[in-house]
Amino acid sequence: MIPKSCPRQSEVAAQVLRGQWPAGCVEDLRQHVNGCRACGELVLVMLAFQSARAQAVSGPAPVSAGVLWWRAQLRRRNAAVERIARPILGAQIFALVVTIAIAAILLVAQARNVPRWFSWLTQPGQSPGLHFEDLWSSALAMPVWGLMLLVFGLAAVAVLGGFVLFSDRPRQ
Amino acid sequence: MENVATGEAQRAAELPMDNDAFAGFYERSARPLRAYLARVSGDAALADDLMQESYVRFLCAARSWDGEVAGRRYLFRIATNLLKDHWRRARSPSIEEIPEELFATSPDAARIESQFLLGPALAAMRPRDRQLLWLAYAEGYSHREIADVTGLASASIRLLLFRARRKIARLLREPEAEGRQGRAR
Ligand SMILES: [Zn+2]
Repeated sequence: MIPKSCPRQSEVAAQVLRGQWPAGCVEDLRQHVNGCRACGELVLVMLAFQSARAQAVSGPAPVSAGVLWWRAQLRRRNAAVERIARPILGAQIFALVVTIAIAAILLVAQARNVPRWFSWLTQPGQSPGLHFEDLWSSALAMPVWGLMLLVFGLAAVAVLGGFVLFSDRPRQ
Repeated sequence: MENVATGEAQRAAELPMDNDAFAGFYERSARPLRAYLARVSGDAALADDLMQESYVRFLCAARSWDGEVAGRRYLFRIATNLLKDHWRRARSPSIEEIPEELFATSPDAARIESQFLLGPALAAMRPRDRQLLWLAYAEGYSHREIADVTGLASASIRLLLFRARRKIARLLREPEAEGRQGRAR
């Protein structure tokens, strides 16, 4: 079905929208609408809708604008906090991975010293009492990079701890 | 560091219009929007919920203020999408197939519909036709604006609107026409 439009429809619609139908418009247009099916339908439908809208807009507003404003502000703020928290979570995961990796390297590097520590512990006769001189000299005997690994590991744990503390603080 | 994050969140939470400007816009647009939602959905409570959600989403969308006319059209678009989402979620047959009985059985809908001559005629229309008719003849939107609000192709609006107008004009002239047709089917 192809709509049979009338060239005067927009003119008629404008008059109805301006509230000038029928009193405020020219006789010529009124006569046209009486004889034109498309324009007659248009006027009938538009008047019904305009009257329904006029009745609907005369009632009270459903809720106060302030409530909606406040809800929108809260929602935007929560969304913004979430956006900011995402990179922090990434940093936490990165710190955790680095810590685990350093701990693993440290364990592997120190694994060959374990039998020596055990022999030191299980042969108390050879070292009566705890001698700090012995402990200090054994620490000095450790490879330098082993010590460095230990320091980095501790630093990574400290960084991770910082992030965990940060993220655990309540967000308002 | 937390202070920095909170400050950024606060800046990001700033809305595109101030409270007073919004209050004015709301005062002018809330009732027409609610009328649109109530007429198309046939459910006053749903219309209230969707209207409120429309405004919250309108404010949350980071858009600069393009003026009252564009703002209102954008608001109607949000509301139209919310209606579509609602119908999708509710697993209603589809926007095309909501039965007329749904309108007749809801007390809120009955209260709204009974106030106007248009009510029974609109209730006999498909929701999409109600949308098109309301936007065109209550809001006075052009075909292009209706396409913008509904997401339908601009070229198809003319034909869809023509058919819907013809049908509702017949229903307004002879309110029993649809009942007779329904019984005959
Ligand atoms: Zn005509």
